[in-house]
Amino acid sequence: MKNIFYLLLFNIFLSNSIYAQVFNNLNASFQSNSNYYLDDKKTGDFNYDNRFRSNNYLNFKSTIFDKIDFEIQIESYLPAAVINYSPNLKRTNVSTFNFKYNTDKLNITLGNFYEQFGSGIILRTWEDKNLGINNSIRGGRIRYFINDIINVTALFGNQKKGFKYSKGYLMGIDSEFDLSSSLNNSNTLIIGISYLGRNDGTPTTNLYGYKDLTNLFSSRIDFSSTNFYSNFEIVSKSKDAIVQFGDVSTTFIKNGSSLLFNSGYIKNGLGIDFTFRRIENMSLFSERRAFGNIYFESVVNYLPALTKQHDYSLTNIYVYQSQPNISFQDPKMMKSGEIGFQFDLFYFLEKNAFLGGKYGTNVSINASIWNNLKGDYDYYEEYVNTNLFGFGEKYFYEFSIEIRKKWSKKFESIFLFLDQYYNKKYIEEKYGEIKSSVFVLDNTYKINNKKSLRFELQHLNSKDDNKNWAAIGLEYNFNYALSLYVMDTYNYGNPIKEDKMHYYNTGISYNKGNSRYSLNYGRQRGGYFCYGGICRYVPDSTGFSIAVTKSLF
Amino acid sequence: MKHYTILFFLLFNFNLIELKSQDKIPNLYVKTIDGKPIRTISTINSEGLTIYSFWATWCIPCIVELNAIHEVYDQWTEETNVKLIAVALDDNRTKRRVKPFVSGKGWKFEILLDENQDFQRALNIENPPYTIVTDGIKILQKRNGYKPGEENDLFEFILKNSKQND
Repeated sequence: MKNIFYLLLFNIFLSNSIYAQVFNNLNASFQSNSNYYLDDKKTGDFNYDNRFRSNNYLNFKSTIFDKIDFEIQIESYLPAAVINYSPNLKRTNVSTFNFKYNTDKLNITLGNFYEQFGSGIILRTWEDKNLGINNSIRGGRIRYFINDIINVTALFGNQKKGFKYSKGYLMGIDSEFDLSSSLNNSNTLIIGISYLGRNDGTPTTNLYGYKDLTNLFSSRIDFSSTNFYSNFEIVSKSKDAIVQFGDVSTTFIKNGSSLLFNSGYIKNGLGIDFTFRRIENMSLFSERRAFGNIYFESVVNYLPALTKQHDYSLTNIYVYQSQPNISFQDPKMMKSGEIGFQFDLFYFLEKNAFLGGKYGTNVSINASIWNNLKGDYDYYEEYVNTNLFGFGEKYFYEFSIEIRKKWSKKFESIFLFLDQYYNKKYIEEKYGEIKSSVFVLDNTYKINNKKSLRFELQHLNSKDDNKNWAAIGLEYNFNYALSLYVMDTYNYGNPIKEDKMHYYNTGISYNKGNSRYSLNYGRQRGGYFCYGGICRYVPDSTGFSIAVTKSLF
Repeated sequence: MKHYTILFFLLFNFNLIELKSQDKIPNLYVKTIDGKPIRTISTINSEGLTIYSFWATWCIPCIVELNAIHEVYDQWTEETNVKLIAVALDDNRTKRRVKPFVSGKGWKFEILLDENQDFQRALNIENPPYTIVTDGIKILQKRNGYKPGEENDLFEFILKNSKQND
């Protein structure tokens, strides 16, 4: 009751006129995701304490005295967080807050901030509510634009972990040099150098051969002209203890490195891209012991899988996850990172040209291959010495072709074919290898200016693991605001009769302005749930979910 | 229960305030498609309205929307001088695909990269597609999501709010 009294008092004191003088450019938004879990004969009973679980986010932004931007985010997990969110997220608390002072040349932030150096290989902090990731740093950051050529960012702070903060600290500096003006044409040339230091907060003795402070250095160069672009990044990480089976090793100490090369060619109607990447022992957490936690807490850097990010349910069953770590599971299963490449081609077949049809046709092709690093491995000696360009055991391979075709003003289709190899033994440290291929046909029919219907058919073909799958989906848009969908994903080929599961889902959503409301019911397929470049393992579940996003003013 | 009450009061409190809500484009740094830092406000169209369309290479409705606008874009700009800026939310997993993707589609829109989603967060955008129409730095409309045909509704709004060309 006391709290309510204070709030009322707060209300009266800060009457509208005072608000208006102090605060400007107000923005408050509310987001809520809630689930009600049900027992399910097929997927099993719900074995946790709260059937109803709800994640709520209230974000408030404002400009104070026209000079300083202020932001605060309050999060409430009541009565508990949705399943698969970190146990550190409980009850109601201030999640992040910050004050920012911005001029054209100088940006200063105090409080929580999100930052990325270069491509994020040494540092990326970000927020993803869909996965419950918020690894922002609380501390200070300065970015200064010295002139048109040089800008420098420096930061220091502790990393967020649930509602708490890591004991150790992070410090970093990133400088960028825009040398385009020296080229005397419209080409762009940017060079970047960054440093990141991580102190884990637990003192170590020097006996083990690594220091309290782990240092990472990165240099990058980025060139682009009208039709051609290319960039290159090289990263090194100082010696650090390997973490295996939850233990920080005192004997297995190793440095890390990363190489990234990307280049492409573009002209109107055509785009070609090639990326090569090699990473060795590159994971970094603000606390060593957080290594490998499934909630992505204390993650300092971003090492996503460089594969095509798929949009359909059956194309997301065997999803590659990048393999940046040293992991010696047994003398027959040892890895120390990954090496491989990705190729993309995007092409537009002009209207009335060969296969172009009346409206033109879009074609895109993607291929990627990722392998273990080749080298000398010794399980008992805890030793590995890798070759720079050696390809070891194959982790993953994928080829896909996607065609988008508009048949008439009212009707258009997407056709996708995908061929995959997934080495479950190496990627998930389980057993088995899976070869599969997937077909998708996605059709949209405009009934009139406002009503439309989308119809989706999918099939996954495999002789391995859970064998064949089929999926069918239907979405009806009543108007721009209201839409309804039903979907069933069926593992009809599963050799175990009880596991021939239907994952049915249905839902309704309503969008208006910047608000969104949705209600869903169904059975969620367990497996790797991916959002952005990050995947997390989730078990099967059944129930209702309701989501609200609303701008309060 | 106590927490619920506090939350409720906070929400109630906000609803009472009739203040100037966020009506301006936040001023922060994003990147051009070539990777140069650029201020959001310096991308604003001086000749007419600006549409900021938040999208990603992995977002199907976003691509459907931008393809649909691409087909009528010449007519839109001719009639209203409107400019569409497609803000790519692709992070480092997929951002290298943005340039060849846009080129392969033949899109003529100006592209910005919001690689660590600073622009998205500043506007409290949950997921793409999300569209904002501005007049100068003033936000006129926000739209969440996209349904086939909705580009016509967007253009009607643009027409209504533009000084039309003769």
